[in-house]
Amino acid sequence: MCFKNLPIEFDDQGNATLKEGVSNPYSYNVVDLGKNEDKLKELLGKNGFLKNVDYDPVTRIAGALAFHSVVDLENRKVISSNSMATLFRGYEIILKGRSPLDAAYISSRACGVCGGVHSAVSALAIEMALDVKPPPLAIVMRNMLLALEYLYDHPLHLFLLSGPDYSEQLVSETNPEIVEKAKITAAKNKAVHGYETMIEIMHDLNPLTGKLYIEALEMTRVAREAYVLIGGKYPHPQSVVPGGLSVTINITVLNELYQRLIKFFDYGQKVVGLWDDVFDFFLECNPDYAKVGARPATMIETGVWDHPDYYDASFKNCDIWGNARWSTPGVLIDGELITTNLKQINAGLEEFVEHSYYEKWDGHRFKTDIEGTPLSPNHPWNKETIAKPGKQSWRDRYTWDTCPTWDRNSVEAGAYARLYITAKANKVVSRRFVEPTGHSMILHMPKHKLPAATMEWHIPEVWNAFERNRARAFCIPYSALVALDNWYMAMDYLRKGETSMCTPFSIPKKGTQIGVGFWGAGRGFLTHHLVIDDGAIANYQILTPSTLNASPHTPWGTPGPYEEAVLNTPILENIELDNPDKKFKGIDILRAIRSFDPCMPCTTHIQVANSDYMVTREVTTCACGLE
Amino acid sequence: MQRTFIGTVGYHNLCNHSIGSALLPKLQTLKWREGVEIDELNWGPIAIVQKFQSMEIKPQRIILLSAIERSGRDIGEITVFKWMGQLPDEELIQRCVGDAVTGVISVENLLIIGEYFKIWPDHTFFVDVEPGPEQAGEEFTIEMRAAIPKLIDTLQNLSSNDGTEIIKFKPLFGDTLIAI
Repeated sequence: MCFKNLPIEFDDQGNATLKEGVSNPYSYNVVDLGKNEDKLKELLGKNGFLKNVDYDPVTRIAGALAFHSVVDLENRKVISSNSMATLFRGYEIILKGRSPLDAAYISSRACGVCGGVHSAVSALAIEMALDVKPPPLAIVMRNMLLALEYLYDHPLHLFLLSGPDYSEQLVSETNPEIVEKAKITAAKNKAVHGYETMIEIMHDLNPLTGKLYIEALEMTRVAREAYVLIGGKYPHPQSVVPGGLSVTINITVLNELYQRLIKFFDYGQKVVGLWDDVFDFFLECNPDYAKVGARPATMIETGVWDHPDYYDASFKNCDIWGNARWSTPGVLIDGELITTNLKQINAGLEEFVEHSYYEKWDGHRFKTDIEGTPLSPNHPWNKETIAKPGKQSWRDRYTWDTCPTWDRNSVEAGAYARLYITAKANKVVSRRFVEPTGHSMILHMPKHKLPAATMEWHIPEVWNAFERNRARAFCIPYSALVALDNWYMAMDYLRKGETSMCTPFSIPKKGTQIGVGFWGAGRGFLTHHLVIDDGAIANYQILTPSTLNASPHTPWGTPGPYEEAVLNTPILENIELDNPDKKFKGIDILRAIRSFDPCMPCTTHIQVANSDYMVTREVTTCACGLE
Repeated sequence: MQRTFIGTVGYHNLCNHSIGSALLPKLQTLKWREGVEIDELNWGPIAIVQKFQSMEIKPQRIILLSAIERSGRDIGEITVFKWMGQLPDEELIQRCVGDAVTGVISVENLLIIGEYFKIWPDHTFFVDVEPGPEQAGEEFTIEMRAAIPKLIDTLQNLSSNDGTEIIKFKPLFGDTLIAI
């Protein structure tokens, strides 16, 4: 049975219905968070070792995130945590009433890193709503464009944002004993990265000056150059349109693209080797690092990279084309693969706003999807975005993020979920370079300057901060290989003369059409749910990976993914309780948060209806004086 | 021949705050002295650094045009800053790089990152027009429209060989980003 918490059951033919005899099928209990807060307040007054640790903003992430935790320094554990998105998004409001054609351009602006995936997922939503299938060359070029976006994104996170947490500079402040050990520990993967000892790697991870930091900046340039050959510009591509791409592709473009792509073959091997060495070394220094950022392997992924022989944009066939992707959609609950079907993934989605600065909406317009599967009133097709700025309170509302769940579970998203679910599901159709096994993912890297190699990522026994980043490192060669496979397909289409890049379509002026785009961002799961009424957007809902990961507590009181990961994090940083001058950095908490690669879209400007007033920041996130 | 680069910085569609990006097409139609190149720099500062690093012939003078709301100025008031360098602490530079690679457009960010990666020539200027409060839209206010001729004059003067001598400028330091 797919759903354990939602009241949806399936008959022998797979048709879904609401369970009979349930009077209020989508009801839920709302827990009063105030009781815990009262207890905490009392404890903070009595226990001098309890400390409020606030990060506002959390640095070295994309956009605006604040994080509040209460840490028991004596027992080295976190006893309370709250994740706060401090900026109002609002593209849903901007898009309402506009032509669907605007959606790809406007929604792209939701993110200054991964604008391409927002454009693409928006195009997919419209393609589904209006029954538009792009030509095969456009499908494979779109795949390449967004693989390249990931090749910008992953090095950026691994070396610029998260990487410094493992550098000589930062570790010498928090755990100098690790730095000492690194000086006498050999690096295992010297053959691919060239470093003799761990201290050399940690030295080159130093922010701003480290060679690996600088090299990552260079690699983002390589990816960007290749990206603009298809997208026209970065980060908001001009060429992504419903029905395909508005560019002409020829051999020259493909050759120029290939010249850049091959640089990621060696780089992919190097990055995997480096991070394997770093994480294995830290775990060798202290096995408790396996608890940093730990939570059950409970995650969700939309899948990415459509196979041109399968993708037809339709909702009817989305389970088929979804499972033919190079990255398989899926939901994993505590390591168990629950489904890989996009229809079930869609039906299990809900968003709650009990702890967010939004008003609850009343409607339940779509009681089922197109095929009759029941949908919750909290489903994105039913959700409305009604901003309600207010006082920040841990016992009530404290974030601009909503609380999305799947079958009432807080699920996390990330590039790593793409790898994990694809490996576990073992359904990929095109296996020229990537080969899932059910327990691992084998990647066949071609020769460039380094010899050809076969790399294998194994599903880890525990899920934690290190494994998120280790899997993300593997996503560099994974993305490069998918791009390469699609590159070969593009060459074949050109040879066969199949050069069409776009399918014309028109928008009906009357009636209602609905669609959903499923496509992972660099940071994982991404959906755009679209409702068109009489030719204009009536509702548009964007669900991003960081909406999932930065989620506040559910209404029934379970923490969101960042919150849970931090609660499970032991404090391994050296603390001198009797030395007030030694500042507590909270490096382990930050490693836990950053391992998700938070991306809180930052360029948010909302115009209030019928006024010139711009909402750019409505809440003070300073934790002083909070209830 | 002296090479001068005039770069416009700022988000689109924010009325006066978009003076840089909105004025760019007009600036590109004007006649400038030989060696002046005008282009938009409202994209990621790291990519801008890489653009300047890969130039075979570097500009000897760079002029940035943007609009930052500052107290005590009237809308349309023009302030010319001369970039004096000096970096803030490393943590702030890291934050700037983090912002830069994740999509934030900011002239201050650009100045700091450019300084860190040593792309700014000795003669780097920032022409800053007072935009007033942020608003959505494509139109300038009357005051901003009235300031445009003087703004163009300022850019023309700054880009000419001896123009800097006739323009009063304030020093701008990277460790404070506050004019003294």
